[in-house]
Amino acid sequence: MASWFRTLPVTVRVPAVTAALMIVTGLVASQGVLTSLRRVQDARLVETARLHVEGLSVALGPFVLREDVWEVYDILERAHAASDGQRLLHTVVADARGQVLAASDPRRAPVGSDVAAFEAGAAAPSVITMTGDPTLRVVSPLAYQGREVGRVVTELDVTDLLAERRRVALWLLLGSAAATSVLTFAGWLAVTRLLRPVSVLVRAMDATAGAPRPVPDGDFPRDDPQLARLFATYNRMTTAVGARAEAERRLAERERFVSLGRLSSALAHEINNPLGGLLNAADTIVAYADRPEVVRQSGQLMLRGLGHLRDVAQAMLDQNRLDRTGEPLRRVDFEDLRLLFEPEVTGRSQCLAWQVAAGDATLAALPATPVRQVTLNLLLNASEAAGHGGRVGLSVTNCAAVLSITVEDTGPGLDPDDLARLLASGPLPPGGGVGLRLAHDTVRGLGGRISHMRSNATTAIRVDLPAGVPGNA
Amino acid sequence: MAWTRRMCLSAAGVLACPALGAPSRAAIRFALTPVFLDNDAAVIAALQAALAEGTGRAVELVQRRTYQEITGALLDGSVDAAWTCGYPYLRHRADLSLLGVPVWNGRPLYQSYLIAAAHDPAGGLADLRGGTHAFSDPESNSGYVVTASDLARLGETPEAFFARTIFTFGHRNVVRAVGGGLTRSGSVDGYVWEVLGVVEPALAARTRVVSRSEWLGFPPFVARADRIGDPAVAACGAALLGLSRSRAGHAALALMYLDGVVAAEASLFDGIAARMVDLGAMP
Repeated sequence: MASWFRTLPVTVRVPAVTAALMIVTGLVASQGVLTSLRRVQDARLVETARLHVEGLSVALGPFVLREDVWEVYDILERAHAASDGQRLLHTVVADARGQVLAASDPRRAPVGSDVAAFEAGAAAPSVITMTGDPTLRVVSPLAYQGREVGRVVTELDVTDLLAERRRVALWLLLGSAAATSVLTFAGWLAVTRLLRPVSVLVRAMDATAGAPRPVPDGDFPRDDPQLARLFATYNRMTTAVGARAEAERRLAERERFVSLGRLSSALAHEINNPLGGLLNAADTIVAYADRPEVVRQSGQLMLRGLGHLRDVAQAMLDQNRLDRTGEPLRRVDFEDLRLLFEPEVTGRSQCLAWQVAAGDATLAALPATPVRQVTLNLLLNASEAAGHGGRVGLSVTNCAAVLSITVEDTGPGLDPDDLARLLASGPLPPGGGVGLRLAHDTVRGLGGRISHMRSNATTAIRVDLPAGVPGNA
Repeated sequence: MAWTRRMCLSAAGVLACPALGAPSRAAIRFALTPVFLDNDAAVIAALQAALAEGTGRAVELVQRRTYQEITGALLDGSVDAAWTCGYPYLRHRADLSLLGVPVWNGRPLYQSYLIAAAHDPAGGLADLRGGTHAFSDPESNSGYVVTASDLARLGETPEAFFARTIFTFGHRNVVRAVGGGLTRSGSVDGYVWEVLGVVEPALAARTRVVSRSEWLGFPPFVARADRIGDPAVAACGAALLGLSRSRAGHAALALMYLDGVVAAEASLFDGIAARMVDLGAMP
């Protein structure tokens, strides 16, 4: 089937196929009727020819035997006069030698001429059939007293039979065309009605430019359980698609926050914080320029910070993937964090409790950058929450192969939105910062978990990181 | 002239009940030749009625196919009188007597016509050589003897001169044969051809007269000579001669386009006799 046909709507194709089938059926039926008509006409023709020849044989027999030209002619003329305007056109009677004795039109078949010219294309009465020629010839032997005394050749006018056949064919054609048209229209109506629910579905699918919408309950085909189930299934699919789209939207949102968080964290920690430490070191050198050991220690700190900044710059150049440095976590990283964080505490006149008791092996099993990033985020949040004169604490311990980092503060506690950012993976509530969600995602990426406790006016956030997880090292 | 239902019933009734109106005397049997207008039942019925009125007897009209059959019936006594032709009368002159001769156009004479199709260019008998020819009856003067004797005078015979000859046993049939193209030419009674021109002009118009014979004695009414004194025969003769004087007879004569019937001598047929001599047919 042509490809263009396949592109047509099913509401057009089905009636078209129905029409084609009706046309084929009409043609077959018409052919059958014409065949039957041809058989009937042939039977009539055979009967007419047989009766004519038999009648002539009875009347002409003795005169043909005696070769009585006049009597033969007289009989033929009277026979044709009796059938004037009917079937008989011309009859030629010949003797046993094949010479014309008489003909109904002697000018066409003169007495004594050869009858062979008239026998061309002639058939016996029993096998004569319609050929499409308006004139048919029948030849038959003339028997009298048990012997053949001559021959009769008759031309039959079948113009009326041909006209009848043409008339029947025309009416059949018109009838078939009318019936086909009516049935095609009825088929189109029926198919359109049957496919109306499908059209509703198609419109629902196309209503919002590819974003399917559910079909209202009122449009459900109540009288067709199968289609009703199809509609229900479609509506469930649209809900699922909506949920998926929402999930995709949330993921995209999360990714955006993660990216922003990473960027913010990187700026805050990897660049800003080291800068803070470097400034502190510079202040120290300025303040204690006369103490070589302090200047040396501060200079080393500045070298590490500057080296770190170089690494950060390199990492940002490497598609902003800070964690690709792959450096293992060390105790000194927490010391760096303290150096970085203390100015915040000092600025708020806060009390800082700092305890790093985890083993080096456990620390080394974890990557430095994300752990420092998470810890710094939590500390900065805790300091901000504790407010002026508050208390902030950090405890790093390990139990077997799990590193636990606990950050406490005496602030008012996290509101539900912040808790959702920190503890859950659901859609981000509007507004708010990205640090908590960044911490959550980073911990989750390390295979760890975050827990929250609030007791005795103290908020404790604990991060458990499995040190043995492959890839964390 | 068209047949009507009334004519058919009339003719059939007369033929079926010959004794009606004259139960005490035997019917007169009168023979007609097919050479005449044998297809006109009205003529036959009118003639029968006129004869019945004229004779005061029932009249039974008898029709036969050929002159030979009529002559045979006349000679064997099957019929009392007959309307025959001059040729059979002359052939059996010793046995037959004239009852009367019809008068046509004021004379008891007629001609034989040699006819061909209307479009045939033939100008005379000689032009018809090699064609097919229709004769009326082998004992008809106008329908055979005239042409055969003309050929005999030329040293020819019909069989040799024409490619084929047929006998139609009726002058009207000769006109049909020529007009229909069955034969190229034909020999026909001039009186019949002229009357056909009036009653069936379409048929006559399909033919044309190629040549005419001399005037010859009109086909006569005859009876057996030994029965000429028979009352029935005498009454028949009287009725024939008196046709023009009765209403029925006048009507019959009008239908036949004749003026009447007159007594005649055998010499009226000398012209035919001469042709018979030429033909070698004189007994």
